[in-house]
Order: sequence, then C-alpha cells, then structure tokens
Amino acid sequence: MADDEQDDQKEYRWETGYEKTWEAIKEDDDGLLDGAIAELIQKAKRKRQAEKTKQNRLGMMRHMFIVLDCSEAMSVPDLKPTRLLCTLKLLEIFIEEFFDQNPISQLGIIALKAKRAEKITELTGTSRVHLKALAGMANVSLTSEPSLQNGLDLALKTLKVVPSHASREIVIIMGSLTTCDPVDINLTIDELKKERIRCSVISLSAEIHICRYLTQQTMGTFGAVLDDSHYRDQLLSQVDPPPAAKTQDNSLIRMGFPHSKNEVEGKDEPLSMCMCHIENLEEPSGLSTTGHHCPQCNSKYCELPVECQCCGLTLVSAPHLARSYHHLFPVPNFEELPFESVPPAAPDCGSLRKCYACIKVLNGLTDKSVFKCGYCNQFFCIDCDIFIHETLHACVGCNTIPGVAGLVYQKQSGKTPSGDTQQQQQPKTMLPSTSKQRVEYNM
Amino acid sequence: MDAAEVAANKEAEASIDLLAIVLDTNPTQHIVRQNPQNLTQILEAVIAFGNAHLMQKAQNKLAVISCSHHATDFLYPLPGRQVELRPIDGQYEAFSLVEKTVKQQLGSILMNAPRLSSPCESLLAGSMSMALCYISRLQRNVAAGVKMHSRILVLTGSNECASQYMTYMNVFFTAQKLSIVIDACALDKTLSLLQQGCDITSGQFLKVTQLDGLLQYLLWVFMPSPQMRHKLVLPPPPKVDYRASCFCHRELIDIGYVCSVCLSVFCKYSPICTTCHTIFKTPGPLPIKPKKKKKTEKQM
Amino acid sequence: MADTKSGRYASSSATISPLVQSPENLECKNFQDYLRTRQTPESLEKLYNYPPICLAVFRELPEIARQFVIRILFVDQPVPQAVVSSWGAQRIAKEQMEATSCLTALNVWRVTAIPGGLAAWELSPTFKKSVRQVLLGGGKPWAMTNTLDKDSKPRDIAFLDTYAMARWRCVLHYMVGTGSRNGGTDAEAISPDAVRILLHANLMKRDERDGITITRQGFQFLLLDTRAQVWHFMLQYLETCEERGFSLPECLSMLFQLSFSTLGRDYSSEGMSHQMLMFLQHLREFGLVFQRKRKEGRFYPTRLALNVTNKDAAQASTSADDERMQERGYIVVETNYRVYAYTDSQLQVAVLGLFTELLYRFPNLVVGVLTRDSVRQALRGGITAEQIVSYLEQYAHPNMKLVESAIQSKSCLPPTVVDQIKLWELERNRFTYTEGVVYNQFLSQTDFVTLRDYAQSINMLVWQNERTRTMVVQKNGHDDVKRYWKKYSKSGG
Repeated sequence: MADDEQDDQKEYRWETGYEKTWEAIKEDDDGLLDGAIAELIQKAKRKRQAEKTKQNRLGMMRHMFIVLDCSEAMSVPDLKPTRLLCTLKLLEIFIEEFFDQNPISQLGIIALKAKRAEKITELTGTSRVHLKALAGMANVSLTSEPSLQNGLDLALKTLKVVPSHASREIVIIMGSLTTCDPVDINLTIDELKKERIRCSVISLSAEIHICRYLTQQTMGTFGAVLDDSHYRDQLLSQVDPPPAAKTQDNSLIRMGFPHSKNEVEGKDEPLSMCMCHIENLEEPSGLSTTGHHCPQCNSKYCELPVECQCCGLTLVSAPHLARSYHHLFPVPNFEELPFESVPPAAPDCGSLRKCYACIKVLNGLTDKSVFKCGYCNQFFCIDCDIFIHETLHACVGCNTIPGVAGLVYQKQSGKTPSGDTQQQQQPKTMLPSTSKQRVEYNM
Repeated sequence: MDAAEVAANKEAEASIDLLAIVLDTNPTQHIVRQNPQNLTQILEAVIAFGNAHLMQKAQNKLAVISCSHHATDFLYPLPGRQVELRPIDGQYEAFSLVEKTVKQQLGSILMNAPRLSSPCESLLAGSMSMALCYISRLQRNVAAGVKMHSRILVLTGSNECASQYMTYMNVFFTAQKLSIVIDACALDKTLSLLQQGCDITSGQFLKVTQLDGLLQYLLWVFMPSPQMRHKLVLPPPPKVDYRASCFCHRELIDIGYVCSVCLSVFCKYSPICTTCHTIFKTPGPLPIKPKKKKKTEKQM
Repeated sequence: MADTKSGRYASSSATISPLVQSPENLECKNFQDYLRTRQTPESLEKLYNYPPICLAVFRELPEIARQFVIRILFVDQPVPQAVVSSWGAQRIAKEQMEATSCLTALNVWRVTAIPGGLAAWELSPTFKKSVRQVLLGGGKPWAMTNTLDKDSKPRDIAFLDTYAMARWRCVLHYMVGTGSRNGGTDAEAISPDAVRILLHANLMKRDERDGITITRQGFQFLLLDTRAQVWHFMLQYLETCEERGFSLPECLSMLFQLSFSTLGRDYSSEGMSHQMLMFLQHLREFGLVFQRKRKEGRFYPTRLALNVTNKDAAQASTSADDERMQERGYIVVETNYRVYAYTDSQLQVAVLGLFTELLYRFPNLVVGVLTRDSVRQALRGGITAEQIVSYLEQYAHPNMKLVESAIQSKSCLPPTVVDQIKLWELERNRFTYTEGVVYNQFLSQTDFVTLRDYAQSINMLVWQNERTRTMVVQKNGHDDVKRYWKKYSKSGG
C-alpha cells in the first residue's frame, strides 16, 4: 500500500511526517475492534474499486513479455517458500487471468539465467504452453547475476516486428539488486522508449534506480513488493489493459468467427484432423467430427482463439471478445449513502429495507452505508456493490427495470423514456466522471 | 480409484445444492398470449420441480425469481417474513410453504403490474444477474468446510433481448468464474444466446415443444445436479453458434473487422470506430507480412 | 529317524485377536442399515404408509437411486429394466447396480413383468402414493399439524437450543456418573426409563455391587457427536418400543415428522393417541421437544430432533443459519501434543481423560498431553483413532478453526498430531495372527528340508528357520503335512 502512489508523492515514505496509523482504529462501546476493522476493510475494498481507471481507449491487443529473473537472488526465502517458487505460483494465476481478460493478446516468457537471457516461450496466445513451461522452471538452478539489458534486448528484438496496432509491453520481475550488462543499458532504454514499448518492473527486494528510470522513460509502472499478497496485487494489476498510447497505430483487424458446419443439414460431419495437432508429434490428435472451421479457407482447429495456419486469419469466438467488453463499459460507481436513506418496503411486506440485488435485509448496525446506482436509483448492500463492480460488471437495477435497461451500454443516441429526464440530470451532479462518459457513448 | 469415487460421492452428499429458477412471467410471451392457462401450467410444473429439488437433500436450497415485463422480483424466499400457514393436506410443510409463497407473490406482482400498451421484452439477463447476486451472497455466508454448488435454471418463452447482449455475456462469464451452471429451458423458440451461456458454463439447454410433459422434461434433464450429470445419459449438447454479431447492424457475421483498441466488431470497414472514436490509419487491413516489412524499414 | 517328534504349538490367536477387532465395539447404524437389517418387506410396506418415513427413506437413498425414483414417480406403468439401466452412463455400471439393489432391498420398487415378457420395475404403490403426497399435497395432513392459537409466550431458537442441550447433557452426565455426585437437582436426574434404554443399549451395565457403571461402548458413545448420539440412542429406544406397547411405525413416523419440522415453530399434540403422548413425554425428557407443561397441547421441536438421520444436513443447515447447537469448542491442541481444554465440566474432563494424560487442573482449564501410552490405552478400550481425532476436531476452539482457513488443511488440528494418533493405531495392526502348528526337533537336515519344501509346495508354510530346524505350518494344513511326514518317514525309515 505504501508505494502504490509514490509516483505522485514527491518524498519517500520515511521522509514524510509521523503518522499515527493506530489512531484510525477505534474501539467500539464494548472495547472490541472487530467493527472498526471490518469498516477499514470495506473502505479498502471500495477504494480499490474507485481507483480503477476509467477509460474507453485501451490497448486491448497486447503483446507482452514477462522477463523473469532466475539469478541467485531468487532463492532467497523471504517470500515463501522461495522467491522463485512464489513467483511461479503467482505467474500461473496471472497467466490464467491475463488470457481471461485479454482474449486476443499474446504472451511470452524470458528467463534471465547467469547473465544470459533465454526465451522460455515464444509469443503465443494459448495459456497451456506457458503453464507447462512454468511447471518446468521450478527446478531451474539459480546462480550468478541477471542481465537486465540482455533480457530487454531479447524482448525488444521480438516485439519490434509485432504489428504496430498492438500495445507492446514488458513486465520484469527482478529479485536481484544488481544487473550485469554487456554495454551501456541506457542505449537499450532509449531504444525501448523510441519503440514505445511499455516496461514495468516488480522488484522483489527493493527499489532500484535503473529500474525506476526504465519505467519512467517507458511510461510503465514500478513496484517493490511488501509481501506475497502485495506481490499478487502488483502482478494482477498488470492484467488490466493499459490505456492506449496516443501514438499507437490503430487499425481494424480482419477476424474470422468460425462456426460448426453442416448445422443446417442436421447430419454428422465427416471425420477430419485439426490443423493445430497435425504437426504436433507429442500429442497427435485423433480424428473427430467437431471443431472450428476457418470461414475463409475451411481448415479445422480444435481450440480458439488461433491464427489460421493456412490463410493467416485470426479466428476467435464472439464470447472471447465479449469477455473484455467490461473494460470498455464499466458500471458507473454507486453513490454511498447512509442506511436511513433506503426507503422501507410497503408495510404489508414487513417494512423492511432490503438490498435490491440479493434481497438481504439491511439493518442499521451492520450495514451502516448503502449504495445507490445513479441511473436506476436502486439501493445495494456493500457486498453487492463490490460484486457488481468487480465481478458481474452489470448493474442489476439497470438491467431489470425496463425504463433504464441498457441505458449505460447503448451507443445509439438516448431514446430514453420521457420519465427519465429527471434521473438524467441527477447523476451529472453526483457522478461527474460517469456522466461525461455516458455523453461519449451517446454521441 | 474406488476410494476417490467414494470420497467424491460423500462430498456430493454433504454439499449444499442451490437452485435458482428464473421464471419468465411476461404476459406478452407467445405461449401465454396463445392461452393464458399455459402460465398456470408452467407455474405448477416449476413449483413441483423446485420441491423435488428440495426433496433430494435436506440441505438443498431453492430460490425462484420472476422476470416480468415491468420488474424482476423474488417469489421465494421472501426476505424477513414468512407466509403463515397451517397445512391442510399431506404435503410436507416446507414444500407447501414454497407453493403458497410463490403463488401468492406472483399473484400480487401480476395484480400490481402496469397495463401493457405494447409487447415488452423480458429482461432475462437482468434477472439472471440478480440470481447471481443472491447466489454469491449465500456462497459468502456458508461456513468453512461446507461446499455449495449453485445453478440457475431459466425457463422462458420469450425472445432474447438483443440490447442485453453485453449483460448476458457478463452474466455468463461471472457464472463461469464462480462455477455456477446455467441451464435453460426454452418453451417457444431456440435461444442462441442462452445456448451459448449453457455451453460456456457447461449447463443443459433444452427446447420443450409441448407443455403437457413439462414437469417430466424438467425432472428428467434438469433435476440431476451438475456433478451427477456425467453419470447419466442426457441429451447431447446442441451445436452452438459462436458467431459474433456486428455492432453496426446486429447481424451474425463470419468474417468481420475488429477495432484494435476496443474490440468492437464491424461487418464493413469504416475509417472511424463508432465505439471508441479511434481513427484508423491504414486504409483497409493489410496482410500481416507486408506490415512487418514496413515496420522494420521504418526502424532503419 | 522314524521317531522324529513333531511338536505342536497352538498359537494364542484366540486371546489376542479381540484386541484387533473387538466384537463388542459400538455399532452405529445409519437409517438405511437399520431398515435393511431390522425390517422385512412386509413391515417396510407398513412403514411406507407414513409419508414422513417415505421422505426420510427417499433422502437416505444413493443419489442415483433418487434420480431413478424421481424419474418414474409420475409414470404409471412399470418401466422395463432395460430402459432403467440405459439411463446411467457405462462407466458407472457398478454404482448403478448398487443403487438398483438398494432400491430392491428397501422394497421401494419391485420386479413385475410387462406384456411381452420383459422384466420391469414398478415403484411400490404405497411408497409412490406417500412420496407424491409429500411432494404435491393431497391426503390427510400429518399428525401434530393441527391449528393452534398463537402462543402467548413463543420460545425463540436460542432458548430451545439451550434447553435441548441441557436435557441431553443430563443423560451424558448420568453416564459418566457426575450428575448425581454433583448433588444434581430434580431437573438433572434422569428417569428409570432412560436408564433402562442405556442398559439395553449396553452403554451402561450393572456391576457386582448393583450399581450402574459405564461400559466401553458407553465411552465410545461419548466420543460421538451429539447428532450421532441422539440417533443411536433413538434407535435403541425404538427397539424397546414394542415392549412398551408402542407401535413402531407410529413412533418412527413421529420421529421423522419432528425431524422435518421447522425450528422455532410450535406444533399441536391434539388428536394423538395415548401411546404417542407417552412417546412425546419421553422425547421431551431427552430434549428432543420442548413442552411447557405435561398436559399442554403445544410443543416445540428442538434442534436435536431435526435432521436426525443425516449428519451433513444437520451440519450444513446449522452453519448456514450461523447458529450452533454444539457448545462452543473449547479444546486447543498444540503441535507438541499438549491439549488445553477450557472447561469445568466433569463430563468433558472425563471424556478427555480417556485418551490423554491429564497434567494440570485449574478452575476453568485442564491441561493434558497425548502420549503413546494414553492413546494406546484408549485404543485398547476399543476407541478408534478416527474417533479421537473427530472428537478433538469437533470441539476445537474457534481460534483453532481460524488457522484452518489460513492453510489449506482439511483438519484444524496440527497435522503432526493427527498423523501420530493414526500411526499409533496402525502400530497395533502390525501383526497378523494366523493359527499354526510348530514342527521342530528334526533329526536331520534332509528331513527338515523335505518336509519344509512339501509344506511350501502346498502353500501352507508360515515360517521356517533352517538353523534351528523349526517350521510353522498353517493349522488347516497340519493334517496334510502330518500325513506326508508319516508316509515319508515310513518309506525312508
């Protein structure tokens, strides 16, 4: 938590004034801390949510290299069981999450072993390859120093030839405090800067000047981890797509959406081999009737997304693309209100105040604050607020009440029912950021 | 091997199964307009099905959500209060509680519904998102060590509402993430979006053409818990159409253009993205190879 | 040579084996076993007239069997066996067989022939009728559901829980003999009826001085969780109910009705027969129901009565409501085998003393240590390692459970301790006992080798030593070997 915002802070933590952190925690009437602590946790949850960048121009098509330090410093057991094993574990989660959120992106892994850089996996779009490679890295021998420059050069060489409409990134995980480079590393940094490759560094030991300089030059982020959970947060923050660079070349990419053939005829397809396994000797595929056919050249693949080996068309399925839409259409933040502002239900329903989404009966003691959506004016409990923003990415109220349904997501100019004019003015004062966003969608 | 299976069985017996039924009660559904009696018939089948689910295990849980043209409401359970009842026949009291609550609640919803001026779409995706919120609340509250398996069953005779595409997708992915199975029973038309959802969450999709055997269909296909299903012979999954619909005309397309910034799908090339207002540089997509060359040239 | 003696040695297996597999161990049956062993098809049919029993039976079935029953519940014709067996996937044929045989054994369905000569399954009509009634309604209302006026002083769940536990603990205290010694008041005494059941169940026995002491099974009983205790106790009660003049189906039905009732609701005893009212009074004594006065026509079922057959259900439902019937955990187990129990209850100390060596006693704290000797002593007493571990888990202090969520371990106890207790149990099973006959004092090596090789060839040799010319042959092989020896020595001599 300490170093998240260091970019903005002019001074280091130890240079700031004396903070009485313990004063934030207050005992309740019974002398217990539970309530106060629960409140702090809730606040932290909300804060994280509010911090999410609100942008609808994101570099969704990402090509990322993970540069992983495999030097002696990675055997230090300050992260349990060792820095390397902890990193591998977290990378597994990261890779799953990365492909989940960035469906048409590619990832590669580079290891820094004994002053050399070695490419563990090429840039590819399937998580399986990476996970397999990671599993094999647990027993790698950790010796000597890493060379940051060699790693960057290797990544640079590959990323240079990547189409320019993609956002290109390098994430470096450094355990070592030193780097042993062949020539001046500033040359490499200048090259990266010129190429607009975003470099981010996560240091497992401490802040290193050259790494911080690298990230500043290339618009990346720098973080030094406090413990494993902080490490996890740092790593997973790289999952969200970065804002699209202003200078990045944008283009429309032609893509194929395969669908199963012969659907209409209603008879079984003939047996055929898929292209992805045809040359793979390790796990040859059997013949099968199911698969995805490239709409352009009709070759068959058993997994999506994939780039067609015959005609080069990128094949994806619609849900793959849809998976990342929530980055573009985030649910506007809800307004925090005191518990009393919830209108109680009709007396014949027991005059209870309840959460609109999960019908939890709210009570003034545990649910001190409630959350109101500015569009549908429904009230939610804190858990639903977090669930809606972090997992579901759709406001339950806006999607169940016909008048406001689809309002946030509609791109056509708002043909909202006349009754909604009042509501439309309200959010402008309460939620400046979101209303602006909406205007943009409605253009 | 055997021991593992026994352990799995034991685990399945100990876990809580939560079934959330999303029932489309929109009066503008084709089948309801055809014959208003049909809604009653569907309701009876759903109640019997829900009770049969509760009968399986003492710890099973049930939620019924009605999705009508004007609002989405819980039919069962109701927060806070219980319908007072004294059994009048041999039905198990927990089951008659479900039956009475659902009927009473649905009655009051339909009575209070505003008059319809024109046919309205059912906002099923929203109702499913409400079910997800409810499920996630219960899942948060189960004690450590107790497993809870949840699923959502959607029963509908309406069409999918195209404007809710995004919500549908968000619901499916959320369900997949929380390993909640989505089952769907279409009473009128085949629904391609819900079909995708069932496929993504490995649920069952079934189109029932005649309402007479509805309960038997439900008991047959949707009663077994998802953990149980691989042990039974069930209808094979239908082939799912995963084509995208373009943002401009909402038509299914085979080959389309995708914006590199926001991943919007278009059926024709246009110089500006209508979603994120990005201006595209290259006129028309170039094959990747020449582009690579161009790129390297620029470097030199 | 001819007068070679073959010594005989009968192993002491008869005296040792009970330690390994004691026949006197507490036998806990679940409901299904109870029905299978105690009931005949005719009596089962009689039981199925009661919808609550049918519901309980249905829930006891294996999951596959439940699906089968549900599928044919609304089918009026018999269903061909071939059709039913096609419902399950090929891989689970074995499991399906078990389910099928279970349904047959419980008389839920039976074989009939359909036109065309095919064998078919048909649900027992009584069972079918009762289950349909439970599910859809119709028929007579269950007993005890008569309309009541609103209770002027309704009892809340917390009150019922305390009441039930207090009553049940009376029985347990009586068993360890602490109830009376503490100068128990009237409320703490238990009735002669309950004592009779304890004696019948062999949980307690009369000793020489005509006092009553707890048996080994009794101690094992104490280690069970409360729900299992209640169930075992009720089973024993049901066995004696016929001699009390109660009808078994009626009692069973009543018990299950209670088990399916809603906690915190009041029910009416109006219209019950005299016997059932007696039964209710017994249930009241054990804390399964709460009734203000003996004559009052209103009673509340308590948590003890709910879900009496199903452990998981009880667990899941109690934890879901975040209310616990079990008293809060009080035991802390450390990795150094020390056990700290924050309790002042004689009962809990006594139970703990069964498998720990008690070190210190404070007003509200007992400290003990799990040693090899103390655990082995418990094992010798017929208590299993599983029981010890589950007891410690069940009453683990809440703080121990916090640790559980942090590391992904199944048990909240230190894994070292759990493993060690299990190892101590395994250690006792290192020997396998076989009865045998010793052959020794052979005069020559060749004699020995010949006989040994013969014994080996017929797979009867247990053990042999060439140097001492000793061999042990299985008992049932003794005759063969002896005959061979006679033949050999005759021809050789």
